[in-house]
Amino acid sequence: MDPIRFGEMLWLARMPILKGLGMTVSISALAIILGTLLGIFVGLSLTYGARPLRWLVRGYTDFIRGTPVLVLVLASYYVLSTVGLDLTAFQAGVLALTVFCSSHVGEILRGALQSIPKGQIEAAKAIGLTFRETFAYILGPQALRQALPAWVNTAAEMVKASTLLSIIGVSELLLRTQELISRTFMSLEFYFFAGLLYFTINYAIEHLGRYVERKTAVPS
Amino acid sequence: MKIRMKLVAAAFAAGSLLSAASAQAQESKLDEVLARGHLIVGTGSTNPPWHFKSMSDELQGFDVDMGHIVAEALFGDPDKVEYVIQSSDARIPNLTTGKVDLTCQFMTVTGERAQQVAFTIPYYREGVGLMMKAGGNYADYDALKAAGSDVTISVLQNVYAEEMVHKALPEATVDQYDSVDLMYQALESGRSDAAATDQSSLAWYMAQNPGRYVDAGYGWNPQSYSCAVARGDMDWLHFVDTALHEAMTGVAFDTYAASFKKWFGRDLPPPQIGFPVEYK
Repeated sequence: MDPIRFGEMLWLARMPILKGLGMTVSISALAIILGTLLGIFVGLSLTYGARPLRWLVRGYTDFIRGTPVLVLVLASYYVLSTVGLDLTAFQAGVLALTVFCSSHVGEILRGALQSIPKGQIEAAKAIGLTFRETFAYILGPQALRQALPAWVNTAAEMVKASTLLSIIGVSELLLRTQELISRTFMSLEFYFFAGLLYFTINYAIEHLGRYVERKTAVPS
Repeated sequence: MKIRMKLVAAAFAAGSLLSAASAQAQESKLDEVLARGHLIVGTGSTNPPWHFKSMSDELQGFDVDMGHIVAEALFGDPDKVEYVIQSSDARIPNLTTGKVDLTCQFMTVTGERAQQVAFTIPYYREGVGLMMKAGGNYADYDALKAAGSDVTISVLQNVYAEEMVHKALPEATVDQYDSVDLMYQALESGRSDAAATDQSSLAWYMAQNPGRYVDAGYGWNPQSYSCAVARGDMDWLHFVDTALHEAMTGVAFDTYAASFKKWFGRDLPPPQIGFPVEYK
């Protein structure tokens, strides 16, 4: 390994790497945000939904969670186009990750909500709170604290899963790195550097999660 | 890789069942492309000199040039082409699901693949070659062969690597390496006497490092590289065939030859004038 030559190559390749990094961050951010919104619906349906809705959503989460992300990515790119929904590689990739994220967030939220003792809902009813109020003042805040660490974990998983989109030709960080390696023949160095960037993204997510945890912690 | 290919195949199989139901008589892809105003070509981005990104982040290479040649034939403008980046596993599914009009991605023609997509005429013949350091211990292929087991050959790690080298040099010692850079490094540092890999890769590497290396002058394991289109559209296949054919023998020969020179470092003799070369 020649650090000077690698530094030079890295400098020349700064734009492609930044573009790839931007792509990875946007894919992950979109998938995490959309997946969380959808996941909240999934989690609420699983916990409080009417029986038919609960069964339907249960089927959805079990199916998605039992499928490898790679299969979801390929399915949203190839299978959907045959039924007339022709998504670009980027859209298909974000869709697959969103769906995957939503099933995980749904399960996390269900677990968090079910861990709250039933007595609290009964007490809320006894003092005349509607369900909406019960959720906003009693269940929601507690569930948020419960779910946060697992949610941060899922968010980090999404960043790592975004590498799979390189297979359908989305120019995210991994594909950009492979493009550079093919030209420079410096595989070890560039893979190591890409690993460092992925670590940095996930480290930032983890710290953001800790910050929110601190802010929402019950003062003792 | 194997598993990934199976997954692609499975995803595609599920898709084709659905599409078979909606299959119908359609106008040719040729009309569709002309009406759209640009061509959509599927290719990769990680294999020089075939398809890779330049320092300024532009897609380039011999496969990419084939796309430009077809665009020129269609619209009289080589730049009216959009490239869809795809992995090697995605070459066939992207054609059969209509994501791309044409795939040019160093695709080896095999009977198995020809059952799934329609191959155009070949635009390159690939083979394995041997690259040595200029001014090294051995002059050429015959010298390497005569040296028997004293010769060490570096190759990319592969199940068939040993067998592949022994087809040309039956007694040579074979050292397998994980990546292309390590394989070339072994040659550079003298740990191997020659590197054996695709001739196009060798030609590209030699063109990048002029005067440093020489070709041993022997090629084996021939395979044809062709572009491919979806099956069942003779008009479109015939058009692409014509465009490629005329690039190798007719009006667009200069474009083809310039590209060949750029990526493989060799000048092509112009096609013989008079009686068509195809029938000589």
